[in-house]
Amino acid sequence: MGLKPAANPDVEAATIELNIDGKTVTAKDGVSLYDVISSTGKVIPAMCYHYTFDPFGSCGMCLVMQEGKKAPVRSCTAKATAGMMIRTEGEDLFLARKKAVEKHLSVHPLDCPVCDADGHCELQDMAFQHGVTNLANAKQKFIPEDTRSPVLDFNMNRCIACAECINVCKDVLMIDALQFMKKGGFNQVVPKGDLPLSCEFCGDCLAVCPVGAITNKFSKYLYKPWQMKKTTTTCNYCGDGCQMYLETKDAEVIRVTSPLSWKNKWGDRSETAKGHGGLCVRGRFGFEYLDGKTRLKQPLVREGNQLVEKPWLEAMHQVVDRFTEMKRKHGADAIAGLITARCTNEELYLFQKLMRTVFGSNHLDSSARYGHMNFVRASKHAVGLGRTPNDWEDLTKAKAVLLIGSNITETNPLTAVRIKEAIRVYKAQVVTLDSAITNMAKLASHPFLIKPGTEGLVIDGLVKATIEQDLVDEETTTKHPKAFAALKAAVAGLSLEQISAHTGLSIDAFKEIAAIFAEAPRSIILCAEGIVRRTNGYQNVLKLIDLAWITGKLGQPGCGVNTVTEEPNEQGAVDMGVAPEFLPGQAGFGDPAARDRFAKAWDVSLPTAKAGANLVEILKRCRSGQIKALYVIGENPLATLPASMEVRAALERLELLVVQDPFLTETGRQAHFVLPACTYAEKDGTFTNLEGRVLRVRQAMDPIGESLPDWHIMTALANAMGSQWEYQSANDIQTEIMKLLPGYYNLGQPRKVTPAPEQYLANDYASEVTARYRTTPGAGESTRPFALMMGQVLMHSGKMSAEAPGLIKIAPNTGKLRMNAQDMERLGLKDGTKIRLTSERGSLQLGVQPDLSIAPGTCFFPEHFNEPPVKDLMTVTVDVTTGVPSFKHTWVSIARA
Amino acid sequence: MSIATLTKKILHAALFYEIIDAMKVTFRHMFHRPITFQYPREQRTIPDAHRGALGLLRYDDGRERCVGCDLCEAACPSHCIKVVSEEDTTRPLQRYASEFYIDVTKCVFCGYCVEACPVNALAMTKMYEYSTHDKRTLLFDKKRLYDIGERHLDDAKKYLYAHNQEKNAEESREYRYYFPQSVLKSTQPPPKHLS
Repeated sequence: MGLKPAANPDVEAATIELNIDGKTVTAKDGVSLYDVISSTGKVIPAMCYHYTFDPFGSCGMCLVMQEGKKAPVRSCTAKATAGMMIRTEGEDLFLARKKAVEKHLSVHPLDCPVCDADGHCELQDMAFQHGVTNLANAKQKFIPEDTRSPVLDFNMNRCIACAECINVCKDVLMIDALQFMKKGGFNQVVPKGDLPLSCEFCGDCLAVCPVGAITNKFSKYLYKPWQMKKTTTTCNYCGDGCQMYLETKDAEVIRVTSPLSWKNKWGDRSETAKGHGGLCVRGRFGFEYLDGKTRLKQPLVREGNQLVEKPWLEAMHQVVDRFTEMKRKHGADAIAGLITARCTNEELYLFQKLMRTVFGSNHLDSSARYGHMNFVRASKHAVGLGRTPNDWEDLTKAKAVLLIGSNITETNPLTAVRIKEAIRVYKAQVVTLDSAITNMAKLASHPFLIKPGTEGLVIDGLVKATIEQDLVDEETTTKHPKAFAALKAAVAGLSLEQISAHTGLSIDAFKEIAAIFAEAPRSIILCAEGIVRRTNGYQNVLKLIDLAWITGKLGQPGCGVNTVTEEPNEQGAVDMGVAPEFLPGQAGFGDPAARDRFAKAWDVSLPTAKAGANLVEILKRCRSGQIKALYVIGENPLATLPASMEVRAALERLELLVVQDPFLTETGRQAHFVLPACTYAEKDGTFTNLEGRVLRVRQAMDPIGESLPDWHIMTALANAMGSQWEYQSANDIQTEIMKLLPGYYNLGQPRKVTPAPEQYLANDYASEVTARYRTTPGAGESTRPFALMMGQVLMHSGKMSAEAPGLIKIAPNTGKLRMNAQDMERLGLKDGTKIRLTSERGSLQLGVQPDLSIAPGTCFFPEHFNEPPVKDLMTVTVDVTTGVPSFKHTWVSIARA
Repeated sequence: MSIATLTKKILHAALFYEIIDAMKVTFRHMFHRPITFQYPREQRTIPDAHRGALGLLRYDDGRERCVGCDLCEAACPSHCIKVVSEEDTTRPLQRYASEFYIDVTKCVFCGYCVEACPVNALAMTKMYEYSTHDKRTLLFDKKRLYDIGERHLDDAKKYLYAHNQEKNAEESREYRYYFPQSVLKSTQPPPKHLS
């Protein structure tokens, strides 16, 4: 709260006293008068004010009388000072405010009946409140609508020049895509430089617009606010777990709105540390797949070469018969299951229960295996904690953020906004280490570009630099002298010069980063796809934990090693035990006490402790014929994994493949049975986000066609196979989870956790650490000159967003390889020139396009598209400890085709 | 019972007094104009303010008046109106109703929708005959509503006039909302992509 919030959260501002409407009020020094008044519970109208950014003062509504001044003053831009005498009510103030409304209305088109903001418009409310019925001299602006952007329409006739859109874009999101421009005699909001809007399209400007000047193209003219049912739910695009309102009309999703809006502008500025309430482009505009035409509406059963629509009863009978037959003929070990982390916690729990108790198999895995498992296993091994230790508030208030291998504004835009707030409000030092020129690097105080694939080496260098410069925290290291000695010995063999040469980062840079990290009172490491989805991900996370340990950051409040997740419930998938190595609550599958507890609760004997195959192993066994039946829920390994994994061959070898998905995926087309599942909008449940916060997912509409929620299908399947499951709703499953994992839901708040590295450091740390730093620099190098990387782009998430027409409209699959402009010039390539891309795994022909975010020597292709199948060029390496397949980085050569 | 009353009773009975009395009424009415009329063959004159079936109207140049603002739907107390609105792709900034339904079986003929309409696209007519064998035909769709509006245009206009909704524009500006045609006259040249 305030004009300028204290840059240092540790220092308390002085208090002052002032008089408001005859009452003495105490407030913090330096806060705006408006905030002081609203903290007393009084609401003064204000149209250009929003608590998330600094007051702008253009609407002239927040007028108050100050003793000693003749004219009313604008309370938002006035600073509260000691001894002020303020009056907020009275006839004169009412008339002054009415005049301000009339001023705005006199140039407003009054096309309320067709305006999308009708009924949700602050100007309308104000006109009504102040009884404006006559306008002396009204005029029209006659400005044509700007419809150039693919997402937002700007109708500047309706604009009241409150600048909320500009301020939120500049201050909160730090994108700065809008500006004022004087055109046709009026101040208008235009995209920067009056070009077609091209930004991150988060739509927060749309959310804060108090009138209908900015409208959403995807739902323009389709609704009136009062017609829609508003459901508070959790976004299912990434692990940020943003709360959002899904607005539906009958069986149609009309739009998505965010808690951030002009309607709740009276907030506490300090609250934004936990999130400003906005959404990103995926959440706000990627909703159209929910009621899309491509949704599956009926079960499909394979007859010959075709998938034929069949009624549920018939399809289900066949599925059950086939599963029973498989189990009888080949035994429980011939059945395996894969599930996506886009399912709710309840469904994930039920899935592992189904696999382990009904099928009696421990061959199960979730999409957390694509990367998050590296972090979970490393963190659990080292500090006994299988999730991130910090929440958004810690991230906002951090003094140093080490962002390594993460294009966070693309993958997790709202976590990125937390870092932006750390930079802007709390003046944090942000170090970015990535092989691409990321958006965060442009804002960071210490952006560093490293050579592709050298993230692990960089961490080596940082550990080495920390020890060399003696930035080590004596207190923590002396507790475990043996461990520290082992670490010292392990890094002794490394030379900074060599590392510097390989990573492209100067020795000074290493020293500077180490100093920033070690000396800041609250420093956070955030590692993402560049670490956990690449080779040696497990070891690299452990190295980062080493770095945090020796600098004394491990276990300190507001410090820790964190990651972000791509899918909304990857954390939940691990917590619910959807992995061969874990039971629910991340209890080890081999742990006898936990096995006993769950076996008793489920009243079965669990599969043997040694058994259990993870994703890569399951596919391998499918290929070798050991696994005969595969139950796939929402996963799509065929479209995700490179051809060298021979997924197609594995699936073709199967005797029974059951795919349960809202859409007919590539994997679904190979299936014997395809069961139509619901999306998150049609079911209840919870997601666990990357902070460990359990968030509700609520049903917003009836299931499309004959699709059913996954838990419903699984319950029916289990009961048909002879179990006695009595779940009537997701709530019943939740009750069971609550009994087995007390405190897991924790009322939706992240549980406070403290890392406990003592045992790890005291026992076999010394023997492990030697191997960890024995990287052979240069092994990753190749004769091929370019590093090809695949990754996420802002507008998409997994393969699912490709089903959302809105997102495809904003960011279609160009089918082109993204390259650095200098490289293209060097090779004599132009936008669209066809090239031949060759890797160890093969070659293919495709066009190129320049991209400013690509570093020289690298090229990029979004992982969401398989046209052309660039993923098949990737080599797969499987982590020996965690079984995580990494296939996002390889070396290629480029030649003109 | 007295003798006088008894005598009177006997006399009344003998002379069929009640019948004469009753026939008096009958014969008197033979000289009145009949109040009932032969309904299908004879039609009643209906006042202009009569609230009959709803119809949708067009401007004189044939354009649809309705802008799909959903206000009638909001005003309807019996929830019998459903409007589905869309943007008119051929005319920028124009909203129109792509679908419009009135469930006449639910309608209570209160006329609120007509009052709510900012462009006088809805009006009530003197049409009240829609008996049918199939109740489903009583869900009037957009086409049917425009048909009614066209066929009963005079009645509809009279209705609006009777309800003070469409007098001359200047006079009614005081109490009626007029939809500004802001895009029709633009002070600036349209952006390149629009021209």
